[in-house]
Amino acid sequence: MKVIMSLLFFDMAFWFYLATMLLYLGYWIVKKEWLGQVATIMAIISTFAISMMLISRTMEAGHAPFSNLYESMTFFVWIMSIAYLIMEFKYKIRVVGAFVMAIAFIAMFATSRLPYRFQNIEPLNPALQSIWFELHVFSAFIGYAGFGLAFGMGIMYLIKSRFEERKTSHFLIDRFPTSAILDELSYKSVAWGFIFFTLGALILGAVWANKAWGTYWSWDPKETWSLITWFIYAAYLHARVTRGWRGKKAAYVAIFGFLSTVFLYWGVSFVLPGLHAYATQ
Amino acid sequence: MTVSDRGIIKSIGNKIWGLFGSLKFTLFILFFLAIVSVIGTVIQQNQPSEFYVREYGSKWASFIVHVGLEDMYHAWWFSTFLLLLVLNIIICTIDRFPPKWKATLESKVGVDNRFIKNLLNNHTVVVQEDLAVLREKVLTILRKKRYKIKEANGSEGVSIYAWKGMVGRFGSDVVHISLLLIISGAIIGSIIGFKDFGAFYEGEVTTIPVKNFKLTIDRSWYGIPLPKVEKQKEATDIQLRLDKFWIDYYESGQIKQYNSILTLSDNGKEVIKGRQIWVNEPLSYKGITFYQSSYGLAYDRIQQAEFLLRDNKTQKIITPPFEVDWNTMRDIQGTDYKVKVVGFVSDFAFDPATKTVFTKSAEHNNPAVYVEIYKADKLVLNRWLFYKYADFNFAAIPDSQYDIVFNSYKSIVYTGLSINKDPGTGVVWVGSALMVVGFFMAFFIFHKRIWVNLKNSGNGTEVHIGGMINKNKFIFERELVEVVESIKPSASRGVNK
Repeated sequence: MKVIMSLLFFDMAFWFYLATMLLYLGYWIVKKEWLGQVATIMAIISTFAISMMLISRTMEAGHAPFSNLYESMTFFVWIMSIAYLIMEFKYKIRVVGAFVMAIAFIAMFATSRLPYRFQNIEPLNPALQSIWFELHVFSAFIGYAGFGLAFGMGIMYLIKSRFEERKTSHFLIDRFPTSAILDELSYKSVAWGFIFFTLGALILGAVWANKAWGTYWSWDPKETWSLITWFIYAAYLHARVTRGWRGKKAAYVAIFGFLSTVFLYWGVSFVLPGLHAYATQ
Repeated sequence: MTVSDRGIIKSIGNKIWGLFGSLKFTLFILFFLAIVSVIGTVIQQNQPSEFYVREYGSKWASFIVHVGLEDMYHAWWFSTFLLLLVLNIIICTIDRFPPKWKATLESKVGVDNRFIKNLLNNHTVVVQEDLAVLREKVLTILRKKRYKIKEANGSEGVSIYAWKGMVGRFGSDVVHISLLLIISGAIIGSIIGFKDFGAFYEGEVTTIPVKNFKLTIDRSWYGIPLPKVEKQKEATDIQLRLDKFWIDYYESGQIKQYNSILTLSDNGKEVIKGRQIWVNEPLSYKGITFYQSSYGLAYDRIQQAEFLLRDNKTQKIITPPFEVDWNTMRDIQGTDYKVKVVGFVSDFAFDPATKTVFTKSAEHNNPAVYVEIYKADKLVLNRWLFYKYADFNFAAIPDSQYDIVFNSYKSIVYTGLSINKDPGTGVVWVGSALMVVGFFMAFFIFHKRIWVNLKNSGNGTEVHIGGMINKNKFIFERELVEVVESIKPSASRGVNK
């Protein structure tokens, strides 16, 4: 099958994201307002490029672009970019972009390093031909994106709160939003992420599994890891209202949760056997 | 039991209750479940014990089996921790829900100014305007923001209490209840549900078995009768016939879809006729669902075997290959012998103890047919013939110059259907839907409360505004400022307001 357009758009988006990341980093370091605006424009262009990649991929394949890691990673970057842009317009906090776009670029880089066969379009096997599968992945990835944002801001929170506690100053850290705002935004990202993750990864996944195999839950490694991730973020939400766990410890839990998400996404497909092994085929 | 004994028991009870009802305990269980669950994803589950010996050595294998790590998500200790999570949720709800309910419903109208000043978000302004006019302004903007309002007239002025988003407080409770529902759905499924797998052949009619559960009480524990759930496999009145099974392919040769056409009859009456199912499109009847699950080559029967006849002296083939249908007598052309294929195994094995032939696997590793040769309706030879071995794929027909040679065979494709009945599934879906609703309530509906005290002071009115929100303090401050701005005289409000 012809996959020329989507590969072209992917390559474009790759360089755009590199530029976006560098621009946000530049804005963070030199704090020039015009640089921030350019960074935002570049982020919009990158998101547009990746949208075109996904659209052309869908047209080339004839199905939603989530059938392998190459497609779903691109989709992850797309969702995270959109989520970040919404946050930037709503809260006008651009420094966060340096961290989020770094995650986006790392994701693009990892995708570009995938074995060549992933770039080919494979016809869907019988189990994947379901609207439930598409909704499952779509919603789960909104969850991943929310967790990704919370991860970035969780790291910023830990750095910032350390400086606030010691009352020390550094020109790079001073440009962070206050730790209270970082905590609140990170919580918001987890809240959005948690809803869509629960709905997508767990509930819609269960609906799909029940339609396809007659069991809504079978403890296969992918399912179990999504439950593990769910437990961690459930712990985060409870930690935030528990004395002695607020703040730093909660931030560590959010960071830990994203590492679990990454393993759920990549580790399980490559390391552990199970129903979701098709992702590596 | 003495009074102090009772006191000790009570205080221990309180401590246990307090522990189970604490958030730290919640965190402990969540982390524990998260960490322990990893083990079952690393150690492959539900493998035969030889697998664990091969992978981990006999010492570790015996540990794995002993602790139940080979099926850890169903091990008693894992279930215990799930039960602790359930207990934790129930006790937390009992402890926290009633006071929360009371505090939320309580509307404190007519608070004093000190109360307002102690609120995290609060403003005090003096406006050169009449109290009645200001009161109307405050009420208008609060109504516009969809607040519910209560008023009280005090000696010093007017007190307004406005609130909204009360249900947001109970989002977490809805989520907790939904979780309990999902777990009970799973328990219902594990007790009275059943899952079966069957291989079905075209044209064949099969009676569908169903596992019924029976509750018996035949043992007791210190006088307390213990119920026991027994599952029994019973035949239903439902019969399934496979009309057709086929596979669709993509142009590239990859499998596109597996399809079966099923006909169901209940009590001898056809209730579903020729319904096509495929992966992701099952068929349900009376709570029993049929899923297209797999397909394969039959291991215990074939469609047709092909033989030829050979001269046992010259080794010359006498007849062209001829086909013999399964379990059907056929004349061997040019002779007065008849042949019948009555047995097949796909992977031949022999159990010397019971002297029976069986198949080692469903794979066609060593296919063999059992043939019978008749002469004038009298059985003269019966023998297993092996497809893969030239030395064993023939048998000499007694008192003749013929060898019968097993040349090839045509297998039968079966469709693999999962047959499933799980009355708990509905409960799980209701719980899941409720959980999403609960999340939206908890995360996006905020309980906002605003108190306004209006008091005449000199030639103007003194206004105290304060508010409280259970979450999202940044947004709320903006909203409160809007209220304050709206009551200030138009001149000071700026042009674009």
